[in-house]
Parts: sequence; C-alpha cells; structure tokens
Amino acid sequence: MDELEKLYQTTYTAVVRFLYRKVWDADRAEDLAQEVFMRLFQHRPEKPRAWVFAVAANLARDEARAAIRRRKHLTLMTNDPGQAPSRMAPPADEEVEHDEQMEAVHGALEQLTPRDREVLLLWDGGLSYPEIALQTGLAVGAVGTTLARARRRLVDAYDRQHQNRDHAAHS
Amino acid sequence: MRHIPEDELHAYLDQALSRSQCVEIESHLAGCAACRAERDGIAALRDRTTALLSTLTPPRRFMPAAEVLRERAAERSAQRRDRWRAGMWAASVMLALGLGWTGKSMLETDAGASPGVLASGTDSPDTTTLPLADTAQPPAPAPSDPAAEVATRTPAPGTSSSRPVEPAVDPDFTAPVSLEPVSTVLSSGQLPGTPLNVDNGTLFRTVSWDNARNERGESMPRIAGLPVVEVQVGTSHGGTARPLVVVAQQLESGQVIRTIEGPATDVTKLLASQRSDTGSPWPTIADSIGIAGGDGAMAMRRGDRILAITAPLSSDSLRAMIRRLNAGNR
Repeated sequence: MDELEKLYQTTYTAVVRFLYRKVWDADRAEDLAQEVFMRLFQHRPEKPRAWVFAVAANLARDEARAAIRRRKHLTLMTNDPGQAPSRMAPPADEEVEHDEQMEAVHGALEQLTPRDREVLLLWDGGLSYPEIALQTGLAVGAVGTTLARARRRLVDAYDRQHQNRDHAAHS
Repeated sequence: MRHIPEDELHAYLDQALSRSQCVEIESHLAGCAACRAERDGIAALRDRTTALLSTLTPPRRFMPAAEVLRERAAERSAQRRDRWRAGMWAASVMLALGLGWTGKSMLETDAGASPGVLASGTDSPDTTTLPLADTAQPPAPAPSDPAAEVATRTPAPGTSSSRPVEPAVDPDFTAPVSLEPVSTVLSSGQLPGTPLNVDNGTLFRTVSWDNARNERGESMPRIAGLPVVEVQVGTSHGGTARPLVVVAQQLESGQVIRTIEGPATDVTKLLASQRSDTGSPWPTIADSIGIAGGDGAMAMRRGDRILAITAPLSSDSLRAMIRRLNAGNR
C-alpha cells in the first residue's frame, strides 16, 4: 500500500465528516470526499494531508455557492402542492433527541466566525497546527489562540441555546 | 512568576509544542496549582468540544476501495487526454503562428512600411490614423461601381491617403462594404510590407483573381471591401481537395492583410515557414470554437482545412474577421 492509499484509509472518514459539517448533506459529503481522493490519486501532491483538506474546503465552498443558486431556483417551484413532504414513519425518541442535539451544535457552530469555525473543523479533522496555519494563512503561533477562542465560543453558544430551550420548555 | 497563557495550554494539550516547551510548561505546572486548575479546565473544554462536534457526524457508510477511485481517476485522465489531443491542432497552429508571421509582421511593420505610405502620412496626418480607430467618420455609402471604387484607390499607396478614410476594416463588420475584388492584381514585388515566404517545398503560382476563381469556384477567402493585390495558389496534391490559396489585400493604411485557406497540413506548414530570426511574442489565444492565434495572426480550423488571417491588427479584430469569413465562406 503506498502512502496515498494509507492516507485515504486513515482520513477518508474525517474528510467526509469535515465536508458534512460544511454542506450538511451526508450524500453530498461522500460524493465530494470521493472527488477529493480521486484528485489526490491524480495529482499526487507533496503535502497530501493538508492538500486533501484544502481541496475539500474549496469543493465545499463551491458547493455552498451552488446550493444558494439552487435554493433561489427552488423557491420558484415550492408552490407545487404535490411536493408536500411526507414523513415515512414517526422517528423514535432517541432519534429525536439526537437530531435536536445535532441541530443545537450545528447552530452553535454557525455562530462562530468563519475563521474560528474553519480552524476548529480542521483541527477536528486531524490537521496539525502547522498544517492548519498553512491552509488558513494564520501564523502557527496564532492557531492555539484561535482554537482556544473557537472552543470557548462553541461551548458557550451551545449552552446558551440549551438554556433558552429549557426556559421555553418550562414557561 | 509568570503563569502559562491560555493559548499555550491549548497548544500543550494539542501536542503542538516542541519538547523543550513541554518541559518548561510541565516544570511550571508542577509548582503552580492555579495553572494546574487552568489546565484541567481547558482539558475539559477540549473534551467537550470534541464531544459536541462528534454529534455532527454523518451515518457511516460504504467506503469505496482505493482501487475504485484510482480507476475512476485514470478514466478521467484518459478523457482529458482525448480532449487535449483535439486541442493539439490549435497548439501546432499557434506554434506556427508564433514562429512565423506574428513576430515577423510585428517587427517589420515599422521598418518595412513602404516609403510612399510614410510620405503620405506626413502630407495629411489627419487621415493616416488606422482605419479601425476611425469611428467618427460615417461609413461611406456603398459605391455603385465597386470595381471602379477599388481601382481608384488601390495601386499607389502615395495617393491613397489623400482620399477620405473610410473604415475599411470594421472589426464588427457592422457596415461591410460588399466589394467584389477586381483584377488589379499587383505583382508581389510591388507589395509593401512582408513578402510571403513560399520557400517551403510547396510550389506557388501567382495568378490573377479571375484565374484563381476559375480554379476554386466561389470559395475565395477574402475580406469584403478591400482591394485584392495578390493571389497565390499552392499546388494541388492531386485528388479533389482544393489547393491552398493566399489572398493578399491592402488595408487603407497601406499594410497587407493575407487570408489563407487550405488543407490543414499545408496551412500549418506555410505558417511555420514564415520564420523570423528574432524572438517574437507568442500568441496565446485558443478558444473553444477552434480559433488560435493572437495579435498579428489568427487561424481557425474547419474540418481538415484551416482558414488563417495575418495582418498587423489586434487579435480582437482578427478574430472578428475570421468569424465573419468563416460564416460567409463555407
């Protein structure tokens, strides 16, 4: 197994997760991740791990732009009554709880600045400080500061959302 | 004693510090309860972030084998190569243009312009601007006797600029003056500018317009509205393919524009043979509809034939001309 294949085996899941947290669609995240690794095998870059995440970030950005265009297009079509969403089966309680928590984390993540969010997601994807610095343009010394802030803000935002929801539930 | 800053504790827990930095921090932690508490708090924060983020994980699914992705990547490369090969004609033509006329005509426009043109320029400077730039003048009405019109202004560059300048070569061809070129074919010795280098193994004959037309039928490549000053026809390689033809026409400025049409290999060879000894700017344009070239020369692929224009004009003008030619000369 060559170096790139090893990288594929060890980082594929992380890349899917990284992409999922940007495009919020599991299928698209997988498609894009496969695109990333196809390109990896074609290009054989010098610093493959950082390269993989850089390409993933670019694809996710393009995807977000395309999604905005699609949404604009969709709003023109949503008046179709035949398109009403139909639920297959009522979800189990656990599932509901998990979905709610996911939504809360998602909401908290969206409250971070784009840079803080990017650094946090890259760190969680497994990149080192120098790799994060390379990709974001930050100084290596600034990565720790940014991560410290991003972590604090994520947890604060999440807790705030929970408090608000509890207040709403008890009143 | 200095306490450890928060970001350094993050970096420490993230194992992003050097060994010596770690030793320094650990020795401080050993003697500082406040920093130990801070470290524990940050460790808890770190764990919590990781836990929160882990909820944002898509359901695990089938992961394709690396081989599959490799194969798909290879297939895609192969497709790219095919497209690349299709683009090679453009590259070869551009190479030919780059080696040949572009540099040559650019270089010799200054040095090689005929004295007659230069002299007329000083006589009436207001009319010597390039026709392309002269948009203030309304286009002249189409002459009733085009042949006569051409004949009066064709042969002597010295007299041409005493006439009002009509936009002879309109880049957009909004008002093409539909002149039929006439038999005022000069010998190549009289042509200002660069003579055609035909020393490339292809035998050329300089023929009259009428003769050329008899040989090739209606499909003579030319710019409407400009006098034809020379027609050269290459030898046919037998068979039914129309031989290469070069039609030289004179711009209002006295410079020569050549329109070339012929089998792709012949045209490429001819363009490449117009080699200039000095370095020349290489044309950089090759667009999707099959036009290659740049300032000074432009070529367009039409099946197994190529249509090319060389003239001391900008790439935009040449592109507009070649499109127009292509549309009208199928």
